[in-house]
Amino acid sequence: MAQALTGLKIRALRTEKGLTQIELARRAGISASYLNLIECNKRPAAGALLDRIGQGLGVDRAALDGEAEQRLAETLEEIASDPAIDGRAKRPADAGAVVGRHPDWAELVVRLYRAYNDRHQAVLALADRLNRDPFLSESVHRMLTDITSVRSAAEILESGGALSTRDNARFLSIVGSASRNLSATAQSLVGFFESANIRVRSATPMEHVDAFIFESDNYFDRLETLAAGLRDHGAVARAMAPAAPAPADGATASLPAPETARFRAVREAVAPMAADAVDGLVGDHGALGTEEARDLATAALHSYTAAAVLMPYEAFLERAEDCRYDLDILSRAFGVSYEQAAHRAATLRRPGREGVRFGYMRSDPSGYVTKRLPLPELPMPRYGTGCPLWPVYGAFQSPGTTVRCFGELPSTDRFLFFARAVEKGSRAVGMPRRLLSVMLVCPGSQAHRVVYGDGIDRSTAMLPVGTVCRLCPREDCGHRQEAPLLA
Amino acid sequence: MGSVATGQILIVEDESNIVESLRFILEQAGFEVEIVSDGKAALSRLRRDRFDAVVLDLMLPGMNGFDVLKAMRADAELASLPVLVLTAKGQAQDRKTAEAIGANAFITKPFSNAEVVEQVRALSGA
Repeated sequence: MAQALTGLKIRALRTEKGLTQIELARRAGISASYLNLIECNKRPAAGALLDRIGQGLGVDRAALDGEAEQRLAETLEEIASDPAIDGRAKRPADAGAVVGRHPDWAELVVRLYRAYNDRHQAVLALADRLNRDPFLSESVHRMLTDITSVRSAAEILESGGALSTRDNARFLSIVGSASRNLSATAQSLVGFFESANIRVRSATPMEHVDAFIFESDNYFDRLETLAAGLRDHGAVARAMAPAAPAPADGATASLPAPETARFRAVREAVAPMAADAVDGLVGDHGALGTEEARDLATAALHSYTAAAVLMPYEAFLERAEDCRYDLDILSRAFGVSYEQAAHRAATLRRPGREGVRFGYMRSDPSGYVTKRLPLPELPMPRYGTGCPLWPVYGAFQSPGTTVRCFGELPSTDRFLFFARAVEKGSRAVGMPRRLLSVMLVCPGSQAHRVVYGDGIDRSTAMLPVGTVCRLCPREDCGHRQEAPLLA
Repeated sequence: MGSVATGQILIVEDESNIVESLRFILEQAGFEVEIVSDGKAALSRLRRDRFDAVVLDLMLPGMNGFDVLKAMRADAELASLPVLVLTAKGQAQDRKTAEAIGANAFITKPFSNAEVVEQVRALSGA
């Protein structure tokens, strides 16, 4: 492609400088017909020949070799292959010709696409917020209720004659009280949207922490290095002693699982030694806008360090690749819980030594998302539920077993999803088990590296999934919870 | 409000202002009206007394309107009792769900009084 762009570039520059093919050919020491072949991309131009053509044009060779243009053309090709663009560019390979002939226009298209993508992400974020913000849905319900009261009472008052004085006063009072309620709700909604404008970036501390973690791709090299040096430290080594199985009597039912107790012990043991490194990472990081967000991020990084101590990066990656990310094997091998192994698998992002790229989501049975790490092509909602077809929800039907599927988004991106509902925390007498569902998801192209895709025939068992209902165009989906934003 | 109707109507609604209006317009139309404000009370009242139609809100505290309707349709004595679903949830999916589990009519808030009376008349055969 770079070569194809070189010819076009030479022609464009020659024309710009008002040179004929004959004149430039003379300056470069080649025939005009050969220069014509180069300009039509039918002959290559490189090395000393390209230098001479560059000299003939009075430009540096770098201006002709087409690398920057190649990057630009590749970007255009990527844009053309975006299903959201509806495949209007029938031949993405024409991108090179567009860049060669109209580089400014090509640059403009790329800028427009980036702006579109930015806005698209903003729409996703806002839709996500509108979709699940309980304040908004409660306010709308409140307003409809009060409007109903006003309308119905007003119709009764309008009907006039037959009303007793007492009824007249009663319904006037309803109109008055419901109107005052409406005013209060409207004012609080105005306040909500004003504050939403001011804080587009984030509405909750967890969003700050999410932004902080996304920025680091959920990988913290400094903590990995620190963890490697902490394993032999006396207090840490003692905390890492294999978890003792809980005695099988009812009295211990209120104790945390042995793996959880071990993880907590390690976290406590490493915390004093990791404090400086964690403070350095959290510090005044721009994404962490509040004290509460910094506290949450600090806690998350201490847990990260404990996980790195218990599941050393290279050993974990090697074992994971070996067993194809079988989380039961990994949890047994490292003496950790299923959930801890799953979360660790989503942190294998060391540059040059990456594992499978996983998205991660943890939800409680009500659909509340307690932890998430989206993939670039698979946004996950911060608030409330994602697509009801995601196995993170189905897993609650059979706690302790892995629910898995291949799913295809409306964008045609395909993913392998697998999830398991696990018991979390200690049991309290008379209270139901506290279950959380943990889901990992990887691009379909990586599924062959993961044991959970085995035995599923992707040609027949590809579930049509979405992200969140309001953004999903699958109007006929029987699992739809809400109408799409764009009908 | 037209000719005088007869019949017993149970209103299941937890918003007191709306209850006041519904009671008034239905009584004006000639119905006898009973009120309950939650789903469990509705079922127990329906199993105790005979009604000609039910006006049922969906967003109720505790047991919601969908669950009340499901329980009614599963109960041989109440399976064919006409139900007008009245709710602030106006989305197409709610309507489909309500109809699928046996609602006979569906009106979204804010409603017109005349429409409610007309529907209750039609459902109760008054």
